[in-house]
Amino acid sequence: MNSPWLRLATLASGLLVVASLGRALAFPVDGNQTVLPTTTELNEDALEKPREVFQSERAGAKSYMVNLGDLAFNSPAILGDVARQAGVSCGTCHVNGVGNAKFFMPKMSTRPGNFDVTGPLFNPKANNLVLDPVRIPSLRGARYLAPYGSDGRSASLRDFIRNVIVNEFAGPEPSPAIIDAIVAYVQDIDFLPNPTLGPGGRLVGNVSEAERRGEALFSKPFPHDAGLSCAGCHVPSATFVDHQQHDVGSGGLFKTPTLRNADFNAPYFHDGRFDSFDQVVDHFDRAFDLGLSPHDKRDLVAYLTAVGDGVQPYEHDGAGATLKEINDFNLVLATAIPSGDKAIVALAVDTIGQELRELTERYPDRKNTSVSGGAQQRVRARNSLKELVLMLRRIDIAVAEGRSADAATEFRNYRYLMAAAVPALLAGAEPWSLFNQDVHDQHYAALRQVMQSKHLSH
Amino acid sequence: MLVLLSGVHSANAGILDEGAERYRPYMIEGIGSALAGAQELRERAAAGDLAGAKKAWISARAGWERSEVFTTGFVPELDAKIDAWPNADSGFHAIEAKLFGAGQTDVDKDAAALEEDLNDLHVKLKDMRLTPQGLLDGTARLTYEVGESKADGGESRISGTSLDDMRNNIAGIDFAYHTIFSAPLNTADGKLDEMVTTRIELLEAIVAAPDLPHIDIPRLRRASEELVVALQIASTKLGLQRPTLEAQAR
Repeated sequence: MNSPWLRLATLASGLLVVASLGRALAFPVDGNQTVLPTTTELNEDALEKPREVFQSERAGAKSYMVNLGDLAFNSPAILGDVARQAGVSCGTCHVNGVGNAKFFMPKMSTRPGNFDVTGPLFNPKANNLVLDPVRIPSLRGARYLAPYGSDGRSASLRDFIRNVIVNEFAGPEPSPAIIDAIVAYVQDIDFLPNPTLGPGGRLVGNVSEAERRGEALFSKPFPHDAGLSCAGCHVPSATFVDHQQHDVGSGGLFKTPTLRNADFNAPYFHDGRFDSFDQVVDHFDRAFDLGLSPHDKRDLVAYLTAVGDGVQPYEHDGAGATLKEINDFNLVLATAIPSGDKAIVALAVDTIGQELRELTERYPDRKNTSVSGGAQQRVRARNSLKELVLMLRRIDIAVAEGRSADAATEFRNYRYLMAAAVPALLAGAEPWSLFNQDVHDQHYAALRQVMQSKHLSH
Repeated sequence: MLVLLSGVHSANAGILDEGAERYRPYMIEGIGSALAGAQELRERAAAGDLAGAKKAWISARAGWERSEVFTTGFVPELDAKIDAWPNADSGFHAIEAKLFGAGQTDVDKDAAALEEDLNDLHVKLKDMRLTPQGLLDGTARLTYEVGESKADGGESRISGTSLDDMRNNIAGIDFAYHTIFSAPLNTADGKLDEMVTTRIELLEAIVAAPDLPHIDIPRLRRASEELVVALQIASTKLGLQRPTLEAQAR
């Protein structure tokens, strides 16, 4: 592209894209000295987060193992050096157990929502020298969805998780307790309820004509092979899977993905090549010569959309949501401190402390030019969160030195602050925090403006 | 016992005040260095010398970062103005964006404002009242800040000098601690003084890495928090209040 006009046109179109994306645009990793490739998109600033539903919470409360697994899942400490340096955890890609559709890493992704687990960055020894990213999957309902991996290579979730930690992300060999806990956590993540799905995976209730026709088409034998149908692999009565691998013309054998909550699992196929159900249906129509009419395709998409729905898929991120997660993690400390489990206390303190530090940065400091007002409220919020971080550190030091009574006292004080004082201070500062959409947008617009000056000049 | 403690406190108060006075020349030198850098920056920028202007910016920045122990607490408004981010229209980061980001040298207005602010501060420093409490607060705050994540490239991400910022911050912490607090703390609790010194040395060792991506960030965070905890314990032994972690929080 040598023509200055072409360059200008490209720049203008790029700016148009930025302008049109508006609030949807997240802020990428940038700067000259970052661990991750520049322009990596982690989508950590998103204000709408997937809602996480736990099986055990319906029956009462999450167990210690589930909370420990959740904590480890969100801790960079269990992964290798690069991930730890970058603050990347399992939860970075699987936000609240759901695939991060905006995640993009240059040279490790070919599009947002996929990632090459055998790429060069996190474990050079696992590098297969081929850019072959796979879609970042949702973990909702994982306990029903064996085998694991996009190609279904692992029958055991435990083995699969260990492989991700040790081989794909170069982490140290995790203790059996940590792997068991992560397995317990992943197996506890439930599908979002879908009132449209009745017994046997049939559509029930207020079902449209298009959805009914789509449901019939879904079970209809393929015209050129009567032994095949969509429902033959996506078995409605079995969470829309058959636990098998198939070649559906996408370049190999890949396991059947569930269709439950799939409305929120784009991109689709093992490598995330398709953005929509329309593209997926078009692919099957071509690959299996189904002879679908445009009307048939619309009906199938209506059916898939009805099956893939879920109640309240996202929730607004705020201090309350973060504190709830931290309070769940605190339950790990409530067990580990009395038992003097130094390793678990250290892991919990590092993970919770980092969450609290990140929460602190949601309340901009007084040097931040993109926020005005609420200076005292922000100071008090930041100060209270920093105090919590230090209380946790004192707990860690006390447990490491065998001073369990001191640790218990400190933990009581910490829980006391977490119960009332800190939530009140955070609520008081929320209007001037990055949880406020306007403040959020102003802050990231300011950051983008500064970083664009750099990119436009080079 | 109370009488004894009060005796210790008043004895410490005198020693701490003397320490704060010994800190003053370092503070004047740090801001003086930042001022000289700002003046050089204006000259180099006016001459269209981008490389020279960048070098002068880095030099000015070093003096400023060494002085953050006191700037955050004693001149908070000026600190917010000079160190404003991300899209500041004045101060270090406004100039950084132009020099290192856009590659332009038209920074005279911003550089002149920076020079004026630094000059005003430099003049005031000889008469500014320095309280040991304020300097301990600043030391603890800066120590905590050093442990913040740098995964995004840190505070000076456009110039790529965030690691220099951290090293200069820690140099400032080291000097403030050993000039003001170490001797009286050693008298009160020798082991604690030794612990603080060891933890400062650990921070220095961590930031001796060749570049930012090679800094062990989790270790840095842990070390910074352990040092703040030690400084909080030290405050009691020194007869001071526990340091607050945000300016204006007290």
